[in-house]
Amino acid sequence: MSTEAVAVLAPGQADSVPATPVRRSGRARVTSAIKWAFLILVALYFVVPMLAMARFAFQNVPTALLTPDKLFTGWSPSGLWTALTDPQILAAGRTSLGLVVFAIVLNLVLLVPLSIVTEVRSPQFRPYLTAFTLLPWVIPPIALVVGVAATFRATAPWFLASVFSLVPFYALWAMPFTYRALDAGLQAINARTLYEAARSMGASLGTIIFRVLLPNMRASMVAAAGLTAAMVLGEFAFASLLLKATLPTEMVNYQRGDPRGGLALALFVMVLTALSLGLVVRTLRRRGLNVQTTGL
Amino acid sequence: MHSLFRRENRLSLIVIAPFAAFVGLFLVYPTLVVLYKALTPGGSLGTDALQRALSGTYRDGFINSIALSATSAVIGGTIGILLALTIKSLQRPKWLHSTLDSWSAVASQLGGVPLAFAFIATIGAQGILTKLLMNIGVDLREMGVSPTGFWGLVVVYLYFQIPLMFLVMMPAVVGLKDTWREAAAIMGASPARYWRTVGIPILTPAALGGMLLLFVNSFTAYATAYVLNPGGALVPLQIRFLLQGNVITGEEDLGNAIVAWVIALLLTSLLIMTLLQRRTLKWTSS
Repeated sequence: MSTEAVAVLAPGQADSVPATPVRRSGRARVTSAIKWAFLILVALYFVVPMLAMARFAFQNVPTALLTPDKLFTGWSPSGLWTALTDPQILAAGRTSLGLVVFAIVLNLVLLVPLSIVTEVRSPQFRPYLTAFTLLPWVIPPIALVVGVAATFRATAPWFLASVFSLVPFYALWAMPFTYRALDAGLQAINARTLYEAARSMGASLGTIIFRVLLPNMRASMVAAAGLTAAMVLGEFAFASLLLKATLPTEMVNYQRGDPRGGLALALFVMVLTALSLGLVVRTLRRRGLNVQTTGL
Repeated sequence: MHSLFRRENRLSLIVIAPFAAFVGLFLVYPTLVVLYKALTPGGSLGTDALQRALSGTYRDGFINSIALSATSAVIGGTIGILLALTIKSLQRPKWLHSTLDSWSAVASQLGGVPLAFAFIATIGAQGILTKLLMNIGVDLREMGVSPTGFWGLVVVYLYFQIPLMFLVMMPAVVGLKDTWREAAAIMGASPARYWRTVGIPILTPAALGGMLLLFVNSFTAYATAYVLNPGGALVPLQIRFLLQGNVITGEEDLGNAIVAWVIALLLTSLLIMTLLQRRTLKWTSS
């Protein structure tokens, strides 16, 4: 397409075309080699720490004694097994799973009706909601934890006593990408048109929401849930500073007593997080939803 | 605002009210209390706490945090842009673009505890890369790269900074239309001239905005820094110290004042970022 355009605009140069590709392919090969070298360097930077972590976690040979001939000896998953069956880790894992579920449910309960009503009835509110999504970047966990200590700790200590007091805050930080995912889902199905069509055929509001809109928003909800799960499974600052035993904070404690098992556990959690995020990306792409996982 | 209370908008109100109450109670209220307390140390209006929050060790904390965040933002930003440009120019393996896209979405969220552990196993005292390089005569310690030092933290932070920059830059880089380059070439511009007068001016707002986002991202990173060096003089770690230490009278206000400065810094960065993003969209959205 582009060469055609050139040929039309500059017909006089058409005869020099056969010579150009030959000369350019030499230079192109060099640039392409540089590009691939750069990509390989970046890939190494991302892969090597993971391999180092896996080796430390699953090979029971200290680094100081590691020689090429010992590369394949002493591998065993026992560290991970010990860590996973540790009662405190098990309890923390259950807690974190609970936090994930509650944060997802709370978020969807608050945001699904809000995003639907905003889209079909009051689209003038959309810019405000979108601007709101920057708030968690302005007030991150490390800043909000001071405010929570200054307010709830003094006025409602009973609230902070339970580990599940983390739920509203986790839901808060998950709101930006949850709202973006839901909104993208509504845009993609032309929710306003569907709403008006269903309305004109006499459907009640309940029918529209439960039989028309919600079934079409499943992909958005799965994506939002996956992102929330990854966020909750990785959040450390807030839980640690409020002295709550979640999986990330217990992982740090456990690692002090059992470095090998601790690393195996961390790798395990990291793989889980990556899988959950991978599911998100796949869901979004299959539906053609344009959602930034960064929540911006 | 008046329209909010009309009959057909009552439904919107029913749905917005719980959301607003939720955000007000758990986000706005604690934040306002912190800002109020920072401005009224000891009960009366004054800038005493705000000034102390920027002096002595806390001043060092801000300088270190800003230096660390700026360094990782510039390096991570540059590599992220180069990565986006490289991926755009390489058409061939079709899986490359989508794979890197997915991987970045994953890696940009992989901060925290596991990441710190991974780098301890790589460039820590017993790290595999430390030992490998030692065998060929390169001492990482001597070069000042250990996961607890400044450059060590930069290397670790790049792990989530590069993918984040890639995600932020990719739309702008894709928006750089091939027809512009062809048009420039037809009019006789060299590739260098094209980049100087078209490519770089169009990408600059996006690049600066992305780097500001990376700056904010690493300024507030806590878990990685805490696991690697809990005693380090970085703002998030000092907040922890003030929050958990035996609070002497007045120290509480100091913590509030530090948070007030942090919020001011983040707010400014993100406002500038939003303005830059708007400028980017003018050219690259279609």
